[in-house]
Amino acid sequence: GPNPGGGGAKPGGKPGGKPGGKGDAQSEKKHKETIIDLSKHMDKPIRVKFAGGRECSGILKGYDPLLNLVLDATTEYLRDPEDSSKLTGETRQIGLTLCRGPAVMLICPADTLEPIANPFVPQD
Amino acid sequence: MQISMASSGPQNPSQIMPLELVDKCIGSKIHIKMKGDKELVGTLLGFDPYVNMVLEDVVVYEISSQGKKVTRLEQILLNGNNIALMIPGGEGPDN
Repeated sequence: GPNPGGGGAKPGGKPGGKPGGKGDAQSEKKHKETIIDLSKHMDKPIRVKFAGGRECSGILKGYDPLLNLVLDATTEYLRDPEDSSKLTGETRQIGLTLCRGPAVMLICPADTLEPIANPFVPQD
Repeated sequence: MQISMASSGPQNPSQIMPLELVDKCIGSKIHIKMKGDKELVGTLLGFDPYVNMVLEDVVVYEISSQGKKVTRLEQILLNGNNIALMIPGGEGPDN
């Protein structure tokens, strides 16, 4: 049936402009910053994990605001072909690489990562 | 390999900008690893700001527990959405 509200105009609609806008000076502050400062990691070894399970590490040689990374002396950590969440312990040296920002899931210093005993296995 | 930047770009003047590295690779072989278990090697003809890539003489490797399935393609536009890792000058997963 016909809309009882009448016409095409939304009731209570704002006439124009951003609702809740605080003004131009304030809206500039919303510019996104990364929560990690990669300049601190320049020329240092970092570990990178990707969406999809790939992992590598290398010396950070460059980056951009979108989190594309340039790594030197890159080591790729190979995964079990049957279980892609498991690392085989094998590595491949692949030299100078570019890591795509949209695929990067984790960045940490290469020396702060260590394996621990499985905490989910009941200790009896 | 260090490139110094005259203008634009962030704080550190002597880092390698990622997209500049890709640009330098135009005309050369590049090895691309996708998020999944697919890899490609081809000659880079060009790319756009989303890093969609045009590649020539491409060999596609599909890696599985059964081994590598290889396909060859003359010229492709590769959608940048699923690219994880790029190796300029890379020859592929066989070395």
